[in-house]
Amino acid sequence: MRSSINRPPTPDANEEPEKEPTLQEIINIKLIESGEKEKLMELLRERLIECGWRDEMKAICRAYARKKGRNNVTVDDLIHVVTPKGRASVPDSVKAELLQRIRSFLTSAAI
Amino acid sequence: MSSSSAARAIRLPPPCPHLAAYRSGGGGTPFRSLHRCLRPRPPSRAEVRRDPGEVPFCASCPPAAAHRGLRLYACLSCAAVSCHAHVSDHAALRPGHEIALDVDRAELFCAACRDQVYDPDFDAAVVIALTSLSCSRIPPPPPPPEKCAKRRRVEYRPWVPDPKGRAVIGRRSSPLLVQEGNASSASSTTTTANSTTTTTSSPSSSASSPSSLPRGLRGINNLGNTCFMNSVLQALLHTPLLRNYFLSDRHNRYVCQQKSKKKGGIKEKSNVVERKNPARESHVCLACDLDTMYAAVFSEDRKPFSPANFLYSWWQHASNLASYEQQDAHEFFISMLDGIHEKEQDQCKHQSHVGNGDCCIAHKVFSGILRSDVTCTICGFTSTTYDPCVDISLDLDSSRDAVQIATSKLQTCESDTESMLTSQAYGISTLMGCLEHFTRPEKLGADQKFFCENCRARQESLKQMSIRKIPLVTCFHIKRFEHSLIRNMSRKVDRHLHFPFSLDMGPYLSSSILRARYGNRIFAFDGDDSDASTDLASEFELFAVLTHSGKLEGGHYITYLRLNNQWYKCDDAWVSHVSESIVRASQAYMLFYVQKILYYRASQHVFAS
Repeated sequence: MRSSINRPPTPDANEEPEKEPTLQEIINIKLIESGEKEKLMELLRERLIECGWRDEMKAICRAYARKKGRNNVTVDDLIHVVTPKGRASVPDSVKAELLQRIRSFLTSAAI
Repeated sequence: MSSSSAARAIRLPPPCPHLAAYRSGGGGTPFRSLHRCLRPRPPSRAEVRRDPGEVPFCASCPPAAAHRGLRLYACLSCAAVSCHAHVSDHAALRPGHEIALDVDRAELFCAACRDQVYDPDFDAAVVIALTSLSCSRIPPPPPPPEKCAKRRRVEYRPWVPDPKGRAVIGRRSSPLLVQEGNASSASSTTTTANSTTTTTSSPSSSASSPSSLPRGLRGINNLGNTCFMNSVLQALLHTPLLRNYFLSDRHNRYVCQQKSKKKGGIKEKSNVVERKNPARESHVCLACDLDTMYAAVFSEDRKPFSPANFLYSWWQHASNLASYEQQDAHEFFISMLDGIHEKEQDQCKHQSHVGNGDCCIAHKVFSGILRSDVTCTICGFTSTTYDPCVDISLDLDSSRDAVQIATSKLQTCESDTESMLTSQAYGISTLMGCLEHFTRPEKLGADQKFFCENCRARQESLKQMSIRKIPLVTCFHIKRFEHSLIRNMSRKVDRHLHFPFSLDMGPYLSSSILRARYGNRIFAFDGDDSDASTDLASEFELFAVLTHSGKLEGGHYITYLRLNNQWYKCDDAWVSHVSESIVRASQAYMLFYVQKILYYRASQHVFAS
């Protein structure tokens, strides 16, 4: 089969010993396993749409695409342009709410 | 590219050379194996995971790197996962491995071009997987009858008369409106016998002098709080299709009377006792009275018309509303269409499809189909229902939504980010905003849990409306009343609604809404035809505006009519020419839009206004 020929070598061939997963990774895995990450993502999406953040970002992207010319823009370009502005303009209330949710999850998951 | 063009005409962006090479190199089957790995994230997203609990990470990033878990791409050829920084390295090392898949969004990415690429087969595979995954246990609902029937619409081609037709036109026609300064119409009127030429008056007065007012403009007398009826009648008298139907004698009141006499005769034979005086005409038909009215209104007579017979007929039909009290214009409109439908329905026995509109002229003109999707937020299962409608009732959306709509609607005007932010200060309600509000996904409250067939339980759900079939003439009814639970009373909302003279209904059609829901995939949704006739079919022109002034209990209705691109105010028996700005500033209650291809904007260039 074509796919099996092209597969990268299996990890066993790799001599390097596997490092301990970092705390960040552990938390991430716990969040995903319990399904909490999905809920948090949905909540975040909802809040950002409600406060108009998504429409703002859309407008910024549109303006950028119009300026550069429709065919000269790539996804990477847009991400580089939009990410700093986006991160800076998330309302504090949204940040606070999500942090609160994550904190309560951590205390309940008892890591 | 603007969202409306991408939504309606499925224009394929040309594939990048790497994608083209991948597809031609036997790329058909890889998409199918995606089905096993696509995990739907209701309501509409999908992600790609080999196992349900898999946490993908970049193979080339060191363990503590920031990018390790962000924006990952899985190579389509060998399933190696890389982050966006390393995905190009993977492609450079192995030729033929350029095409990758965004694992969180199920979208194609070309690592060599470093840009998103699009493939219709891929999108089709994703959408099919999504829609079949979400209703796996239940067989798909049967397609609405529209799909089974042949395509009703023929391709629109403008009509050009043959020489014989041209001769007939020259001999027997008289134009409906003669415009000063319009050379072509001046020459065509000379051949007619009863022409209404006004070659002497100046342009500014020719629109208002009685002899040059367009045909069909006639005041209607108020018979006692009947302004609700008069305003709706004025709008209907100038509804292009309805007007053409009645003026071309498609419903002849004499023929209709004869038919009902015959029926009445048969009734007597079977010994049904007629309570009314048999000598008196007991034939009550709203369509016949409309026929009389059309004949009267489109005649040369300019004196105000009294629709007494029509009022009597309508009282017979809607006896609960038969009084001299003030009534609601929208209620009257619905009741009237119902009355026409009742009578016409006897003429054709079979009613093939609901919402098809073949039963009577009222439905042929006004009926459309609304689609309602209720999606379970847990499993993504969607239940769809189709409802016929004769009008669309819109909530006046609150100013807060209007602000967000105003910012997103800036695609239509040339502006940059700064002016977008300043417009956030304005809270204007617009018709498009109301339509957006109408078609938005609405989260049904926790107390309105919907029973999901897939989960076999009551779950929280999302409801979204869209327009499956737009009627030829769309009537928008703006719900200008709000009920306050605290005081337990309703009051009228006087907020001004901004409405356009030309409206594009494309973004509110089911095909556009579905496409947007599934991530703007290149896929033929809901049986939409992406040819030119569909583009034309969703453009509408405004021809009548019904306004209400006053309170909920008492007020006055006025209709503004647009004839030959001029606006006329119809206030019961008083008809006058008004400027566009007055119409724009009026408080719209009902708006009538007709499909652009059926609307004749004659001599619009004559008056620069």
